[in-house]
Order: sequence, then C-alpha cells, then structure tokens
Amino acid sequence: MKAGQEFPPAVFQVGSITVDDYLRAVEEDNAIYQNTGLVPPMAVAALALKSLISAISMPSGTIHVSQEFEFIDTVNTQDTLTSHAGVSRIQERGKLHLISVDINVSNQKQKPVLAGKTSFILPVP
Amino acid sequence: MSTPVELKEGASLPAVKKNIRQDNINLYAKASGDFNPIHIDADYARKTPLGGTVAHGMLILACVSQMMTNAFGRDWLSGGRLNVRFRAPARPGDVITVSGSIRHIEKGDGHQMIDCDVLCSNQNDEPVITGDAKVKVGDNENRN
Repeated sequence: MKAGQEFPPAVFQVGSITVDDYLRAVEEDNAIYQNTGLVPPMAVAALALKSLISAISMPSGTIHVSQEFEFIDTVNTQDTLTSHAGVSRIQERGKLHLISVDINVSNQKQKPVLAGKTSFILPVP
Repeated sequence: MSTPVELKEGASLPAVKKNIRQDNINLYAKASGDFNPIHIDADYARKTPLGGTVAHGMLILACVSQMMTNAFGRDWLSGGRLNVRFRAPARPGDVITVSGSIRHIEKGDGHQMIDCDVLCSNQNDEPVITGDAKVKVGDNENRN
C-alpha cells in the first residue's frame, strides 16, 4: 500500500432492512428515521468503511484511531451509492504504520453525500 | 423525538446514555458487515491483548451522531461534520455516556455555524471518543 493508491469503487445500497438492523443495533429511536426512508448518515459511513475494509484486508491488530466525516446530503433507502477511497498518507512509526484513507460517497445522480477520512494503525508485517 | 437546543455558547447538548451489550455489537456487525472477530468472537478476543470482545468504534461514534440528530434534526443529516479520535475501547457491560456542548457559534448570512465539543466516556469517566462536531443551521429554523 502506498500514498496515492486508489481502491476500486464500491457500489451499494442501504436498504430498509439494513437501516432497521442499524437502528436496533445503536438503539436509535429518533422519529426522523421512522417510515421516512431516510438513512442515518453513520449507516452510510459504516457501509462505506465496509467496502474499504474489504479492499484493504486489515491484518489482526489493526486499530481505528481517528475518523472525520462530512454529511453533505441526505440519503434515502432507494439510493444507489458509490464509494471511492484512496490512501492519502502513510507514516511509519516503528513497527506500526499510520494509514489515512480518504472516502467520498456519491449517489446515483453523482451528487456527493458523504466525505471522510479514516485513520488506522496497522502492525508492519 | 428531537430535543431543541438553546443556540448559545456553553449550552449543553442532550446527552445519550448507552448500555453496551454483545447483542448490540453482533447486530451492528450484521448491519455494517464488519465481522472482525475482535468484536464478535469471545474465544478469539480473549486471546488478544484486549482480553475480550470490544464494540466497533463506529458503533460508539453512531451514538454521537444520534445526539447531534436529536439536537439539530435534519440539519445534521445534510450539513454535519465530525472529527474524532478513538481513545479507548468500549466493552460489553460498559455504560457509555455521550455528551457535548456548544463551543462557538459563527453567524453567517441566514445561517449559523455551530461548533461543538463531543465526548463519549465510560462508567469510570474514562474518555472513549473525543472530538468536535460542526453543524450549519438556518436562522430561526424549527429543528424538531
């Protein structure tokens, strides 16, 4: 892995069943999500990260150290989302690597809905 | 149900308290697709330096987003920003309190940019997540 590396884009939806599971998992009961079709922004973020984790195949001992998100626009359960991710920085710290990855998610109209930067510490193999 | 927040510097956000249970963690794994065994496999996790399963950091961060949604409604969903550090793991049995306060308000043309400190701490008052959250809200807007 190196700075500038881009991962293949991931296409996904956050359907109503996934939203229901997510709301139960985090015990979120805000009426804003009840029968509105709105997707909690952190559910979008979680699935965008899932795509990233699948692409990187994180080794055992990986620690998620920091996270930035910007929720740009609302997402509906009918939306089809595309996530683009790329390595923005790699720093060596002894036997560990600090890796930062930029994530950008857009909807089927190519409109940005979420942006973020996630940073992990990975053990050097 | 949303809880309006008084938009003034120093005002507290409506705190959220969560009992972290393995059931929640397992369900979050299903919803997010993150089945890392450190979260869901007690036998595996016991043999790691963490000594047991831990919640996904994103699960705890979701509670911060919940607090911000309760405070600012749809403005948070399309105008919210989070910048946090994960300080310590949250484990099954932990009680996590999510709190925050308005640090700064910047008035713009027809809107206000609200800058908040956010904190997740466990039952021992140890920080689990620290950081800040920003949200742009319209003037005189009903946030419910």
